[in-house]
Amino acid sequence: MNARTRGLLLLTPATLFVFVAFLVPLAILLAGSFQRDDGAIGLQRYVEFFADPLHQEVVLRTLRIGALVTLAAIALGYVAALAIVDLSPTSRARLVGLVTLPIMISPVARTYAWIVLLGRTGLVNNLALQFGLTDAPLRFLYTEPAVFVGLLQLLLPLMILSLVSALENVPRDAVPAARMLGANWWVVFTRVLLPLTRDGLATGGVLVFTGAITAYITPAMLGGAKILMLETLLYQRVNVTDDIATATVITALLVSMSILAKLVLSRLAKGRSK
Amino acid sequence: MNGRALQWTALGAVLLFLLGPFVIILAAGVSDGETLTFPPEGVSLRWAASVVAIAELRHAFAISFALAVLSTLGALLLGIPAAYALERLDPPGANIVRAVVTSPLVVPGIVVGLALLRYFVIPLGIGVRPALLASHIALLIPYAVRVVAASLRNLRVDIEDAAIMLGATPLQAFFQIVAPNIRNGVIASFILSFITSFNQVPVSLFLSGPGISTLPIEMLARIDFTYDPSIAALSAMLALLSIAIVFLAERLLGLSRYV
Amino acid sequence: MSDAFLRLHDVTLRYGRTIAVEKLNLAVSAGEFVALLGPSGCGKTTTMRAIAGLLKPSAGRIVIDGADVTRVAPNKRDVGLMFQSYALFPHLTVFENVAFGLRLRKLPDADIKTRAIQALASVGLAGTEEKLPKELSGGQQQRVALARAIVVRPRLLLLDEPLSNLDARLRLEMRSEITRLQRELNLPMIYVTHDQVEALALADRIIVMRAGRIEQDGTPEVIYAKPRNEFVARFVGFETILTAARLAAHARLPGPAYAFGWRPRHVVVGTGPYQGHVRGASYLGETVEYLIESEFGPIKAEVAADAPRHGPGQAVAFDLPFARAAPLAADLPA
Ligand SMILES: Nc1ncnc2c1ncn2[C@@H]1O[C@H](COP(=O)(O)OP(=O)(O)O)[C@@H](O)[C@H]1O
Ligand SMILES: [Mg+2]
Repeated sequence: MNARTRGLLLLTPATLFVFVAFLVPLAILLAGSFQRDDGAIGLQRYVEFFADPLHQEVVLRTLRIGALVTLAAIALGYVAALAIVDLSPTSRARLVGLVTLPIMISPVARTYAWIVLLGRTGLVNNLALQFGLTDAPLRFLYTEPAVFVGLLQLLLPLMILSLVSALENVPRDAVPAARMLGANWWVVFTRVLLPLTRDGLATGGVLVFTGAITAYITPAMLGGAKILMLETLLYQRVNVTDDIATATVITALLVSMSILAKLVLSRLAKGRSK
Repeated sequence: MNGRALQWTALGAVLLFLLGPFVIILAAGVSDGETLTFPPEGVSLRWAASVVAIAELRHAFAISFALAVLSTLGALLLGIPAAYALERLDPPGANIVRAVVTSPLVVPGIVVGLALLRYFVIPLGIGVRPALLASHIALLIPYAVRVVAASLRNLRVDIEDAAIMLGATPLQAFFQIVAPNIRNGVIASFILSFITSFNQVPVSLFLSGPGISTLPIEMLARIDFTYDPSIAALSAMLALLSIAIVFLAERLLGLSRYV
Repeated sequence: MSDAFLRLHDVTLRYGRTIAVEKLNLAVSAGEFVALLGPSGCGKTTTMRAIAGLLKPSAGRIVIDGADVTRVAPNKRDVGLMFQSYALFPHLTVFENVAFGLRLRKLPDADIKTRAIQALASVGLAGTEEKLPKELSGGQQQRVALARAIVVRPRLLLLDEPLSNLDARLRLEMRSEITRLQRELNLPMIYVTHDQVEALALADRIIVMRAGRIEQDGTPEVIYAKPRNEFVARFVGFETILTAARLAAHARLPGPAYAFGWRPRHVVVGTGPYQGHVRGASYLGETVEYLIESEFGPIKAEVAADAPRHGPGQAVAFDLPFARAAPLAADLPA
């Protein structure tokens, strides 16, 4: 038996498994979005989906939150990553460990911390009452900013890690050399660091954006039924009204948005580096 | 303030944002008060004890634990041979297989759960438990393949040939020469997969049934009607558990590099 | 040579669609030390891997000791292979690296111990048994690889550029070590190298390869003095090669040939029938090397440093004595 045959044999179980237990069911679900009520193929389900103002609002909100979280993660990510790569290798490893830690912790537990912080009797409200900033507890939970903050905390580590590994590959002399030539920090950042870390930025951007638009726990816990995002909308439609038609369309939207984000951002990463 | 100081302050703020909430969860979890408040009222472990006393939560923990162990083992069992084939044996259609095998990474979890429920569990008459296991294995296979493939890539290819030239069969070469050298990658992949499965919510959301619910799902269900610090205590315990696992792994893996 | 121990019959080797080695014929007798010499990428490693069994020929046959092994698995061929990169097992001690093959042969522990320790001693590594490969220097790692390959007493040993990762002094030392071992074990060996000096110093016979084919096969003396064509001549140090057509206009040729080649030190500088200009002169200590621009094209010459010197730009007379020239056949198309 030659190596290629052996290779094929070793690949088959995993491939077959993913196929049967994942790809085929997913494909059927996706195909369902193109099925009309009379059984024929058509875009009826999409038309009906977008006719509902609530659905429009949820799609827009999902994109808006995804974009905002990504932008904020990029800004904070560069700030943190630039400081981290400035450290000695040992402290750098330690900080990378600290940044990685939240990824390992249950997102339910992570998000619950925000309930403790932002709830009616949480830290923020207690402080506000104590300092007389307000007479009655303010509502932070079940608002869009709460979802935004929760998602940012959840996903920021991914951006920092991508940027740290990109910045580690920037030649050590690039920044001092640019500074020697009289460039100020903004010029160094936009002309030297940004082009050299474009790949890491794109990787991090894809992870954060798709993470934000496909998150379930954070919008469920911090947004609730008021601030629906696509995933929570899908769950609600299936679980409450057994509305598979809507679920198939949301599935198609989520999958295509994830793939699109990946294509666009990796194009951006390559496109201008020539 | 000069640039350096500004940089450190900013890094400190980011770290506070990332890690601060855990401190808060820990503090809230050991509160002695009757309601979830912050700052906590007194210190006690009674809420942690109360959580452990709830039979449903213990049961959910057992399910999550078993599910994480079994799905991790399943994913490694399927993923290691696949990673080996992709990295070493130049099989036909490698790129297609790579795409298929890593596809669960790019699909939202909730969709996976729904698709499996509708078009795998119901038509094939499969029970919820095996379906849950299958979905978690499919979800973890990409991690297993990726991490193991990376360790294989870091291992020189010719040592297998050297073993074979000394009389080893391909299987002996794999188990005696390759396996010990990718051990750390496999352990890392095991830990990563275990934690991913244990914390997983969206995939499991639709795949639960009477008496079959994972711990994070059970927690989610209780959040809406829990006003005491018990969920905070449970969250704190889970966070500490994860930190302990990661810390231990770092210790062991870090050390084994020098042993 | 029907008594050849190893024989390759019209062996063709491919990677996918690219042909790396085409219709190769090669024979090695029992106890013979053959060097496979050729530039990087000519197919030396590929040929070794085929003899070892790690690569299946797409055509042709490989015969070892009278038996056709073309379809025999590499671990059943009883052929030793030493890798260019050493390929030591990083997780095993030096002792366990050497003992690996013996353990697979299920020898008693006591025998394993004696043989492994003896093999390590024979390459001068006694006392390093418990170290890990990464704790050794490059030269020591190379010796471990050698010990590991010979301890199982293969019937044929293949060495793929074993010295190319060592510095010059170590190379010299290991060269004599390998010669000694080969004589002691009376083991047929194929030694791959791209270094003609190494091949000349070590081998009973040299096979010169180029682009997957054999250009010349002969004793070191023959290869050194009588290269068959321009490619081999250049490879063994004939730096001035002029076609007969070009030379015929200026000189009477001693016989029919496609071209003639001279080593630098066989070119006469200062006297002679031809005129040229010195384009470069480098002082090498014992000798001076000249690059002379002439009507034949560039001429490379090396003369004793105490001879009259010529500076760049100077006109100079020179001679290309046919008595020292090698007549060369045309190259095969690459
Ligand atoms: N694994 C491979 N896949 C495709 N081509 C290869 C592979 N290994 C070697 N080659 C090609 O085969 C030819 C011979 O290579 P090799 O035998 O390694 O040469 P050498 O050892 O003489 O330097 C080269 O052109 C090389 O590019
Ligand atoms: Mg080679």
